[in-house]
Amino acid sequence: MKNLKKEDVIEQLATGQMSRRQFNQSLMALGATMVMMPMGSRSAFAASDDHPTVFTWEGWDVPELHQPYLAKHGESPNIAIFGDEEEAFAKMRAGFKVDLTQPCTYKVPIWKDAGILEPIDTSRLSTWDDIIPSLKTIPGTFEGSNQYFFPTDWGLTSVLYRADLAPEYVDNESWGMLWDPKYKGRLSMADSLIDGVMVAAIYIGAKDPFNMTDEEMAKTRAALKEQLPLMRYYWTSPADIEQALASGELVATSAWNSSYAALKKEGFDVRYSSPKEGAMTWVCGFCLMSDHDPAKLDRIYDYLDAYASVESGVFALTEYGYGHGNIHAFAKVEQDSPGLLKELGYSVNVDETLNAGIFQAPMGNEPALQAMFEEVKAGM
Amino acid sequence: MSRSATSSKTVGLAIRRRFLASEALRGFSLLSPTLLAMVFGLAMPLLVLFTLSFWLQDYVDFIKTFSWKNYSDFFAKPIYGMILIKSIKISGMVTLATVLLAYPMAYFIAFRIKANKLVWLILITVPFWTSYLLRVFAWKVMLGYNGVVNSGLKSIGLISEPLEFLLYNPTAVTLTLAHAWAAFAILPIYVSLEKIDRSLLEAARDLGENAFMTFVRVTLPLSMPGVIAASLLVFIPTVGDYVTPSLVGGPSGIMIGNIIQSMFGKAFNWPLGAAISVMVMLTVTAMVCVFLWGTHRFRRRVA
Repeated sequence: MKNLKKEDVIEQLATGQMSRRQFNQSLMALGATMVMMPMGSRSAFAASDDHPTVFTWEGWDVPELHQPYLAKHGESPNIAIFGDEEEAFAKMRAGFKVDLTQPCTYKVPIWKDAGILEPIDTSRLSTWDDIIPSLKTIPGTFEGSNQYFFPTDWGLTSVLYRADLAPEYVDNESWGMLWDPKYKGRLSMADSLIDGVMVAAIYIGAKDPFNMTDEEMAKTRAALKEQLPLMRYYWTSPADIEQALASGELVATSAWNSSYAALKKEGFDVRYSSPKEGAMTWVCGFCLMSDHDPAKLDRIYDYLDAYASVESGVFALTEYGYGHGNIHAFAKVEQDSPGLLKELGYSVNVDETLNAGIFQAPMGNEPALQAMFEEVKAGM
Repeated sequence: MSRSATSSKTVGLAIRRRFLASEALRGFSLLSPTLLAMVFGLAMPLLVLFTLSFWLQDYVDFIKTFSWKNYSDFFAKPIYGMILIKSIKISGMVTLATVLLAYPMAYFIAFRIKANKLVWLILITVPFWTSYLLRVFAWKVMLGYNGVVNSGLKSIGLISEPLEFLLYNPTAVTLTLAHAWAAFAILPIYVSLEKIDRSLLEAARDLGENAFMTFVRVTLPLSMPGVIAASLLVFIPTVGDYVTPSLVGGPSGIMIGNIIQSMFGKAFNWPLGAAISVMVMLTVTAMVCVFLWGTHRFRRRVA
């Protein structure tokens, strides 16, 4: 094929001089070029190879949450996003290599049993002593002196509702709001075992929601079935419920702190309830993956320290309304903007908030729960 | 050293001679890029899926011994069969709606448009230049609580409260899928209509058939290959769709694809997910066979 210049091609095309074969040839060359292109420029989209890869939730990847790392190394690490831990687990099982992941506590035991985690050397962390002590001893996250989990984020799962649309609940908050037939078709709950099915378990008064007896399981199923016709949908992304609450499509839903903070900021009359049965407390943080690159360990620990720094904590609290692992972040927020913590639903004494909720724990017999939930959703 | 070089040269020559002599070999090597893509991209994954469906999941590991348990589970628990039947119903409705809506459009372009047919065809594909996801979200905007339909009806005073039954049910799934797959129905039907010899239509009219009967007895049977292709192109992929039901389906609109996805994700039971996938494939194959047999009989009867 002759070497064609762009101008020649256009002119030949315009004047009709280009034969069909020539045209096809140039199209083919273009096609081949397009196919090759991503390979050459892939590195342009990611940080350089010296940085560790962090596998995390959307929103926790922002540079504001690792400023000290950015200051020290000039750029952010490589970030990959997952929608939930099950997706992350499936990807890693299929061969995706990452250095750090950011799951929540109830997933740590199964990941550890799958052999993909390695203990974290806490002596290499300068922030380890600043972490809220009660977060370091959550069952399943450590084994003897081996710490498999670095707690950095926590928050609540509770009922978020429009106080102007359901004023009767303002002084009578409970999980039962999500079972109120008065708001049929305007309620929602998370499409998840831990934030959905466990809510039903708490609602029916299971003694240990995370390890239910057969009788409690049957009651939970009945409660979910009763709730199904009242549901608008089961939500999978906070954006769904934030928009729906804003428009009045939903009156009440289970939610995380960030949705409350976002809607409050927009000026909606929403309340983040303290249900009388108890809200759920979740804790998320970092795990060191067993196939991490040992050459990057220094930067891995730098990243963990950066994420656990006071300034990251202040950002997480003020922007997302999430709790942070670093205990000093709370004092800093209280000092900078008095009253804000209370407005976000936190006590100044952090342990008070932590202990008020029901700690999310690994669920016994997860496959049976999932099968049950699928059946209920299918109307059975 | 030199002897081995010579012998490797003779071996090379022998291979070359064999290669040139065998027509089949040359044929396969010509085919090889496609063949390799088919083997590694289609046959191997299917084989993996098939094998996986006979294993069992044990917490985080697979039990790699042969077992029928996943298949017996599929039949023992009513949920899978029920959702599969629901998916087939939804896809059937989608196929019907798509073909019924696509046929007049294809007919119009094939018979009524004289100039610039290509422009019309391109215009039909314009909505498909946007992503599939975007089109699904567009329906969310149309049917949503504060969506186009609701606010429209509200502003002309027909309703005072937004209608809630528009979104998050099987009807919304059907509507969205029918729109999303329209181009896949229009184009094959158009091609088969375009190929019809116009003199046959004139002959039918000359022999005294009215316009309607001409359509029923000549145009429709001759365009059946396009209708069949369109039906299959829409039906087969929509049975397993999971994005649309998860976005606009709500609790009542979930389909078998959502169950399979949850088996490979949340429920973490890959073997059962594989078994369900195999069952879906078998069911769809059986349905397509029945459909082809039925249309074959129909064509024989009409023609």
